Amino acid sequence: MSKSNIEEINRNIYDFKNKDEYDFKIKKGLTPEIIEEISNQKNDPDWMREFRLKALETYNKLELPTWGPDLSELNMDEIATYVRPKTSLNNSWDDVPDDIKDTFDKLGIPEAEKTSLAGVGAQYDSEVVYHSMKEDLIKQGVIYTDMETAVREYPEMVKEHFMKCVPVNDHKFVALHGAVWSGGSFVYVPKGIKVEVPLQSYFRLNSPESGQFEHTLIIVDEGASLHFIEGCSAPKYNKVNLHAGCVELYVKDNAYLRYSTIENWSKNMLNLNTKKAIVGKNAKMEWVSGSFGSKISMLYPMSILNGENAKTEFTGISFAGKGQNLDNGFKVVHNAPNTSSLVNAKSISKNGGICTYRSLVRVNEIAKNSKCSVSCESLMLDDISRSDTIPTADVRTDEVEFSHEAKIGKISDKTIFYLMSRGLTEEDAKAMIVRGFAYPISKELPVEYAAEMNNLINLELEGSIG
Amino acid sequence: MITINETPIRTARNFNINNIKIDELNIKKEILPFNSFKINSEISVLEDVSNSNLTYGLGHELEQQVKENSNKKIKLIIDKDYTEPIELEFLLNKNNPCLIENIEIIVEENRKANVIIKYKTEEDLEFYHNGIIKVISKENSLLNISVVNLLNTKTNNFICIENLESDNANINYTIIDLGGKNSITNYYSNLKGAYSENKLNTIYLGNENQVFDLNYIGDLEGEKTNIDIDVQGALKDTSKKNFKGTINFKKGSKKAKGNENEFCTLLSDKARSIALPMLLCSEEDVEGNHSTATGKVDDNQLFYIMSRGFEYKEAMKLIVKARFNKILENIKNEKLKNEIIYEIDSRLD
Repeated sequence: MSKSNIEEINRNIYDFKNKDEYDFKIKKGLTPEIIEEISNQKNDPDWMREFRLKALETYNKLELPTWGPDLSELNMDEIATYVRPKTSLNNSWDDVPDDIKDTFDKLGIPEAEKTSLAGVGAQYDSEVVYHSMKEDLIKQGVIYTDMETAVREYPEMVKEHFMKCVPVNDHKFVALHGAVWSGGSFVYVPKGIKVEVPLQSYFRLNSPESGQFEHTLIIVDEGASLHFIEGCSAPKYNKVNLHAGCVELYVKDNAYLRYSTIENWSKNMLNLNTKKAIVGKNAKMEWVSGSFGSKISMLYPMSILNGENAKTEFTGISFAGKGQNLDNGFKVVHNAPNTSSLVNAKSISKNGGICTYRSLVRVNEIAKNSKCSVSCESLMLDDISRSDTIPTADVRTDEVEFSHEAKIGKISDKTIFYLMSRGLTEEDAKAMIVRGFAYPISKELPVEYAAEMNNLINLELEGSIG
Repeated sequence: MITINETPIRTARNFNINNIKIDELNIKKEILPFNSFKINSEISVLEDVSNSNLTYGLGHELEQQVKENSNKKIKLIIDKDYTEPIELEFLLNKNNPCLIENIEIIVEENRKANVIIKYKTEEDLEFYHNGIIKVISKENSLLNISVVNLLNTKTNNFICIENLESDNANINYTIIDLGGKNSITNYYSNLKGAYSENKLNTIYLGNENQVFDLNYIGDLEGEKTNIDIDVQGALKDTSKKNFKGTINFKKGSKKAKGNENEFCTLLSDKARSIALPMLLCSEEDVEGNHSTATGKVDDNQLFYIMSRGFEYKEAMKLIVKARFNKILENIKNEKLKNEIIYEIDSRLD
């Protein structure tokens, strides 16, 4: 493994930007008039228009978090919350305008669709520009479409689930999302259907001083299974961009869902995303998360284990470099007997980056015979970075096995010495150790995404060690 | 309600762990003289405590109460080696219902001592305790110190501990936390001196509706400093415990080590345990570990002990006490140790 391999990776695949061209861009700020205008532009049904306006009221009532990274640079008066690209939804890449198609080509999405995915959604700024799924899944009754189409074509299913898992008063940025959401994916997997090949949605924010607020709603019905992959990136601008998406996952009895994310937002992005899953009896929810981008990230996916024997696993890594403050973690509520959760979180801080693992495990009185095991490891690559572990455990019953362990430290000198004695340079030895540290996460990803994650680690490490 | 015992770093408000809210009425306003104090040593008991500001503390109101209205001031200067423990005993009773003490212990360079501070109530009435224990450990000194809370479960107990350690200083702290309706502790160690060490071993045991709020903070500032926190507890009935432990590796603490372990045995399905073991790190070359575990008494161990002829309750007591034994060994006074064991036994019944 030579240094030249590391240098071959070109970060420009994420940082390139297209001209800020659009069909419509809402004026900056957040007022009832702006919300009405978004609703008009999106041709919302009445219930959604009312929902948005109520969410805005909630947003105005809620406070900013009194904990975590400083969000004072976020000024909603400087953010355009809706940018409609100069194209409508297409189901053929040939119909997508060239510059937008080029963007997704460079990100490898059409190629991945051909080789390893059962369906793809691609969002550019505020709207989904491409959506497609393999024919056999359509025949089996699987629905994979953009959220706007779902609101129109499956209103009952959407009304029953939309912002019920993540209520609009959960926190300030969920309320903001409720008011201005646009785009995102809707997936329904009917009872007993196993979707063997993953579906992927990719979110690209091109427009400067804007926000992306996509809504992802996935229902995996009883006995069904799905692997869903979410990717996100944006070019870097000098001013702040905002991502406040919302992911709601319903994993019904005996169902299985794996939700994988490779997040590589640009380093001017505030990523204030919310993800939550409600997990039914004997069902299993797995989260796999790689967090590399963003200036500030506050992201704590959550599983609510509502059914007996429900299980959840979280496997995540955060990598904070210069100027980044990644405050990530996981939340789980054990709300039924015999539930179990397994958390494996890792973080790497270098070049002044800040990584925080923040979590909550709550075992309610009803959750007899539940088990929870949490493991966190943090790696510091220099003495100008920071790494914090802030886990909370709230146990309300005695019939429980709960354990948490965390470690913090640097790369062991002995291990470096050992690898160097086998012929590696110090830099390659350190890079190998970091990849090994991240291996428990990368092995959970489909091979091409694991390769992307390793490339990202190489990129982040380049020039920072040795 | 007032908010006290804030953690050094906040987390989400709905996690209910950043602080604890207590009724203002729990803070005693009427303060009478306290004359029920004993010390077994000939060491001079001075009263000119320094009254310097605490780094964290329980909160402004409680800190000011000690600084301005303490009814017992004790300053001990350890300027020679003491082989026998120096024992301070505060007995709260009908005639001395309120103790607000300000204790300062200065351990001079190269000196060693054992200090035991015991708080006890004589009657099962509501009394009040609010105290500060400040230790300044100079170069190469060694202090073993035990704080034993045998108050009844009607008395509010507020205690704030602060240690400042110079190079090579060593403080071994043992806290036996059994009493108090609300037993609220703020413990802070500043390991500024290179090679300084601090061990903290705690036992807590909650029964009835007792509330324990333990906020332990260790700042590692000097090179090769070492902090080791071990907390063993059990909760009965509807008792509740918040454990907040913070090990903070500050810049400059190269090759420092910090370990933190908390184990809570739940003896009732109405008891509640919240834990927030934090590791904060701004230095590269350090080793930090923490672990926390919560659960009921192990069924296999119970079965084994009961198969040897013990009844359930006895077996359960044996298992809980086994976890406490190692820490109890730190109490260098057999009579007091037996008194603590008796108290644990009777509270486990």
